[in-house]
Amino acid sequence: MLLLVIKKELTNQVKSLRLHISLLLTLIVFTVGAISTMINYKDAVEDNNRHNASQMAILKSKAESNLTSYAVEWRNYDLKPRATEFIDNSKENLLPNTIGGTAYYTFSFWVKSGKNNPYLSNFQDLNWAFIIAVLISFVVFLLSYDSISGEKGTKTLAIMLANSISRGTLLFGKYLATIVATILVLLPGMCVSLVIVLLSGIVVVNLTMIIEIAFFLLITVIFIANIAVFGLLASVVARSARVSLLISLALWILFVTIIPNTALFWSETLFPIEKNTVVEERIDKAKQELNDNAPPGSWSSSRSNPFRPEHELRADIQTKLADAELKIRNEHRQTMFQQFEKTRYFTLLSPISTFEYMSEAVLGGGYLRFRKNWGDIHSYQAQLLQFFKQKDAQDPDSPHWYNPWEDLSTTRKPCSFNEIPVYEEKPLSLAERFERLCIYLLVIVLYSAIVFFGTFVLFVRYDVR
Amino acid sequence: MIWNIAIKDFHNNLRTARFVIGFLLCLFLIPFTIFVSINDYKSQVSAYEIERKNAEKSLKVRVYSNLRPVLVKPPTPLSIFSRGISYNVGNKVKTWLGTKPLFAEGNVSTRENPFMNAFFSIDFITIMALIMSLLALLFTYDICSGEREQGTLRMIFSNSINRWKVLAGKTIGVLLTLFPTILFSFLLSILIILLHPALFFSSTEWISVLVLFVLCIVFFGFFISLGLLISSRVRSSSTSIIICLFFWVTMVYLIPNLTNVSASSLVKTESRDNLEDQLDEFNREFLNKVDDYTKSHPKPIGGFWGFQDGGRDGYQEFAGASGETHEYYRTMHQYTEPLRIELANNKWVYQKAFLDKLDRQRKLAEILSFLSPSEIFRLTASALSGTDAAAQYYFLNQCRLYREDLIRYFQDKNIFASYSYFTNVPPEKFMTIDEIVEYVTEGRFKTLMELGMALQQPNTSIMQFYKRSAPHWDREYYPYLDLSSAPKFNYIVYTLSKGIVNSFSKIAFLIIVSALMFFLAYVSFIKYDVR
Repeated sequence: MLLLVIKKELTNQVKSLRLHISLLLTLIVFTVGAISTMINYKDAVEDNNRHNASQMAILKSKAESNLTSYAVEWRNYDLKPRATEFIDNSKENLLPNTIGGTAYYTFSFWVKSGKNNPYLSNFQDLNWAFIIAVLISFVVFLLSYDSISGEKGTKTLAIMLANSISRGTLLFGKYLATIVATILVLLPGMCVSLVIVLLSGIVVVNLTMIIEIAFFLLITVIFIANIAVFGLLASVVARSARVSLLISLALWILFVTIIPNTALFWSETLFPIEKNTVVEERIDKAKQELNDNAPPGSWSSSRSNPFRPEHELRADIQTKLADAELKIRNEHRQTMFQQFEKTRYFTLLSPISTFEYMSEAVLGGGYLRFRKNWGDIHSYQAQLLQFFKQKDAQDPDSPHWYNPWEDLSTTRKPCSFNEIPVYEEKPLSLAERFERLCIYLLVIVLYSAIVFFGTFVLFVRYDVR
Repeated sequence: MIWNIAIKDFHNNLRTARFVIGFLLCLFLIPFTIFVSINDYKSQVSAYEIERKNAEKSLKVRVYSNLRPVLVKPPTPLSIFSRGISYNVGNKVKTWLGTKPLFAEGNVSTRENPFMNAFFSIDFITIMALIMSLLALLFTYDICSGEREQGTLRMIFSNSINRWKVLAGKTIGVLLTLFPTILFSFLLSILIILLHPALFFSSTEWISVLVLFVLCIVFFGFFISLGLLISSRVRSSSTSIIICLFFWVTMVYLIPNLTNVSASSLVKTESRDNLEDQLDEFNREFLNKVDDYTKSHPKPIGGFWGFQDGGRDGYQEFAGASGETHEYYRTMHQYTEPLRIELANNKWVYQKAFLDKLDRQRKLAEILSFLSPSEIFRLTASALSGTDAAAQYYFLNQCRLYREDLIRYFQDKNIFASYSYFTNVPPEKFMTIDEIVEYVTEGRFKTLMELGMALQQPNTSIMQFYKRSAPHWDREYYPYLDLSSAPKFNYIVYTLSKGIVNSFSKIAFLIIVSALMFFLAYVSFIKYDVR
């Protein structure tokens, strides 16, 4: 019986105008999106390589003339463009994507300006996740808003239920048919997009990417299932299709625009953090205190004589200042991370946001990628400092007084660049990603289940005449 | 007769669910967005206060090499209505000799936490664009087809009435229903702003609000014409609403992203990193020239016995050095500082090319946005509110002109060749290095050579012999520079009239296309089968 319902619904959907227009629109948007993301990715990779090469050249020349000048030279670790950006770029162009520091400390992170044009209003890339979150969710609402109330309007609901079919089966059949119809709209677009990506030759498809695409399809289906429940709810709550449409549209605007875009406001009200100016004042105060209590002669220096006794004092005060600043900054950063994460939890009310975070977990991108790199670069920098200290210990002409900013009292011998460890970004492991994904999957499945149950109860009491 | 039809439709509409839901949506969303925007504006204002104090501090310097004024732009109150790009760009510019200002700096307060960039924010105009266009379509999609399905359309035409009168009457009916909603949203926002203790709108700003209101009506009229056109071409309401909704989602959500994405793919811009790398080459060239100078003109020995401070862009301040050292730096600055200004001019060629590419991209996005009326609406609203790119360019140009004025001031007063560029110690108090050593060690050593030999002994430190410092070597001994004759930065606000001139073509486009669509709807309606 269920299969019969599904077949009938699906046939109706497939013949309807709305499915045809949806299919056309989806195809166009996926095509344009694929082409533009490929063009942007190619440029981004070229720029990244060029910039890295020039930075490496500078570091190499420093290392091969004076190892200390290499150690104190500021370098930036840019997060490379990701091959799976055509699926979802997880707002990586808006989140911090550069980490800077020296061999002594990993100092800061910020958002690279890159190719962002500040004079262009904010927009989102046409990657798969955006198209699914905005267009496909709209299509789901359009396909399901009149499943119950529309049938009541055409007087066929009573006739259908006059057969020996339970209300639950009918509801569930319509639900499944909506999901299948949406997938039918989605798949051609995705295939065209994938073909364009493969043909462009810019992106190399390997096993990891295939697994990522498979999981992405899985979360897409779960997302569509969630939205379909809301469409069904709108349909069951009203007696006429018109009102259902209005409720669906209101829900859609709420999920797509209102909840994600007001998160900023709520986060400032509910989870405030210290202002940057206050943090800077605290750092200045701490530094002032250290400077005032520094032994006299701490700041005198002479480049020609590394063994000058004041250099030990200078190395000490510089280290203390840097440590004090970093301690305050890192504490503040922890509050930043927490504020961001709490705001994310708040937006889980909207399935579109949940989908965004799920896709970030599946692809190992966005915020998760940043946090992993932040940790990994700290480890790498510790390793680099260890290497430097070892090399320095081998030099008899060095007093071994480690000064984090200046070339005054550590080795000035050159070092072959090939010996120095290089940082390679490691993607998140599948296990780490799955762990993150589980939380969001749980949320969305629970959400769907509760709303579906509510819909079922309302439908059982629905007046079909 | 037109009026009768209009009143009848008006009464009918008032009783429908769509009116209630639309009105309630406006009632809740509009004040909420206004509160959110006011909140953001308040944090902008408090950030501006801090920046302004910093700007005043930047004028409290003691030497000209430290005179690099900070210029700040006050926040625009109208950003409460339309954000534009005002949150993407900074509001302060530091005047460097060695670089012309490229972009304004300063993080806008909502990005205290850089991760929050990932969340977008809505403003009044965005919500109006969304809700108004949707409501317009929801009320006009069944103007023709709805009445036909109810069977009342043929009854209307059994009377002796022109088709255009019926169409006009129905349009006026929809306008009557929805115009109060727009008016109400605006009045509510204005009330909230008036009641807010910390906000103050001047009369020009209220005029701008009025112009924004007129713009909303024009935008609204466009969607009414669109709904009318679709309704008059289609026979059934359900088809009509589907087509209307697809138009809506495409125009409001898809096309704005499509146009910006296409513009950024079609017009290549340079990455900021590459520009910085190119500029760094020029900077290195300059530093090499300075190095060559110091190699061919060796510094006098002796060092600094009072204090020494230095920094970016030629900042140098010291006291307690020999007269020779002072003279050395004075002549050096006559060589390096004009070179620094030339460095800025050389770099500007590349900076300008970079900015031109960004502007070309933005212009292409603007042209492409003619496909989406809601994008035109938002661009026009931000132009009228002074939060668009043109307003930011206006501010940056003023900063660049001020920098030219400041450089001319330096050149006219021949400041690079004067001691006051780097020290406050008057020339009559200059000593030779031996006199300084004698003074500082309280007569224990008479020459630098003697002191140097004493320091050769193991375990001796300079601190054992440094007994006193002269009071006139202390930085605080001297007052701040008198800048009464120096150029001052007076920020000129980007006025409404400029905004109107810039967006004239867009508004005209909206009106012309609305009129065209209304005409097409009329033509279709004439042939409409009313049975």
